[in-house]
Amino acid sequence: MGKAVKIALAGEGGQGVQSVAQILTEAAALEGKEILYIPNFGVEQRGGVSIAFVQIGDEKIGAPKFKTGDIVIALSGRAVRRVRMHVGPETIFVYDASIEGVEEDLPANAKKVLAIPALETANKELHPRVFNVLIMGAVIGATRVVTVEKAKEAIEKKLGYKFEKDPELRELNFKAVEKGIELVERMGVA
Amino acid sequence: MGSKPIEGERKVFMTGNEAVAWAALAAGADIMYGYPITPQNEIMQYWTRLGPKYNKKFLQTEDELSAGFTTIGGVLAGRRAFTATAGPGNVLMQEPMSMAEAMRIPTVVVIQQRGGPSTATVIYSQQEVTLTCFGGNGEGLRVVYSTSSHQDLYDYTIKAFNTAWKYRFPTFVLSDGYQAKMRESVVIYDPEARGIQMVPTEPFLGKAGTPGEDRPAAHLRNTYNIEEELLEVLSKDIEEYERVAPEIIEYDAYNTENADLLVIAHGVVFRSAAMAVKDLAGQGYKIGYFRPITLRPFPKEQLRQAAQQAKQLLVVESAYGQLLKIVQDNLYGLNVPIKTLLRPGVGITPEEIAEKAKALLAGKEA
Repeated sequence: MGKAVKIALAGEGGQGVQSVAQILTEAAALEGKEILYIPNFGVEQRGGVSIAFVQIGDEKIGAPKFKTGDIVIALSGRAVRRVRMHVGPETIFVYDASIEGVEEDLPANAKKVLAIPALETANKELHPRVFNVLIMGAVIGATRVVTVEKAKEAIEKKLGYKFEKDPELRELNFKAVEKGIELVERMGVA
Repeated sequence: MGSKPIEGERKVFMTGNEAVAWAALAAGADIMYGYPITPQNEIMQYWTRLGPKYNKKFLQTEDELSAGFTTIGGVLAGRRAFTATAGPGNVLMQEPMSMAEAMRIPTVVVIQQRGGPSTATVIYSQQEVTLTCFGGNGEGLRVVYSTSSHQDLYDYTIKAFNTAWKYRFPTFVLSDGYQAKMRESVVIYDPEARGIQMVPTEPFLGKAGTPGEDRPAAHLRNTYNIEEELLEVLSKDIEEYERVAPEIIEYDAYNTENADLLVIAHGVVFRSAAMAVKDLAGQGYKIGYFRPITLRPFPKEQLRQAAQQAKQLLVVESAYGQLLKIVQDNLYGLNVPIKTLLRPGVGITPEEIAEKAKALLAGKEA
């Protein structure tokens, strides 16, 4: 129902899924898109699986949560088990290739299941701290919900104050977005 | 310092709690009293961040009882005062709001519903409908606006101050944890730029002149010695509430003419209902919706008008029959069957409503 792109992003608390959702929705806002973003939240202050439900479209978004996402991303084993309920026949399911022991838990009904080496790429080619931005690149690569330019603008808006102290960090973040897009493109999705 | 918080209007992307804080600021609220509880905390947080620039005040009290009573105190002093709470805090809030009802004090309370009963979840529900509409030890002489979007939150928070001060009934903006925490776009504006005049405030106590000579005495009572004395005051209040109700009542309706199915929902669930209904109507089904915006006073005649043309009704809510009770009460005597989709404390998607509606339309479900 509706034409909005539906994204569910899940990871361990601290992996930065809510930051990714904030930057991604900021980029969409800069493009003048309609957005609805709701984090799941509970009584815990840290730990547990953190999920961001994001919808981006051209018209006002309807309901805040959805049953089935267009793209569902899980960054930990627990996250895989938590969000597979949001997978349907039209869903692209993405998980990090370094997650072990989830073969049995992967959704069987997805349109595509992609294991991307995001953590490994971040650690070896970039820096562990831009892992989440690399994931954002993967979301953009798979959905094209925002342009790379606006994504970079949003990163600048959100993290600009950090870049002032450490200009190399800007380049690292921008590279991470591009790398994320590339990882998904290599899978033949984009 | 002192200039308007918002000039003209602008489109922003923010959380619902932030939208409430901006609306209170734009409405010229002077002070917020509050006690922290999820999911309303960020109203306090944003108010305390934004307020000082415009000489606004904030007082954190020791609990919600105190937050409610100090809000009454602020109003008695002539300040546009408000508070916000949720869940168990809303339970405690009923005592002071009952007093506001008794003394006709124009308080404004924003409720961000969470799961219940008790602490339950900090996340979401529509389980505070009965409490917010009828929670006091009285007759529920209050105004309750149920919002379904950030635009509603902004518009109705501003409106709540005017409704409260114009009619002098405690006024509630009833929202929920989803609306509180989610981010979406909203146009924030200076009410004056839209031709909205804020109803002026005035102190209830400490007015100039000698009471009884220069002006009537401020005779604020919540205690009575004899039954008949109470009945006289209540009768006058009830009569006035019923007289002004038609001016306050708000609702939204779509495709209600001779509908095979009329879906009734309020708040954030209305969004899912509207999506499902419009989608099915587009497929040729005779389906419509009715959304009460004011839960108190309730748009009784308007719902009866729509319901009596419908073959059946479907009440959808994230509670186990709180809106349903209000609907049944207001439709008493009508013969139309009422079906339900009741999911206490959890969100409801358009797909779930569409599935239920289709089954009812196909006659597959009794």
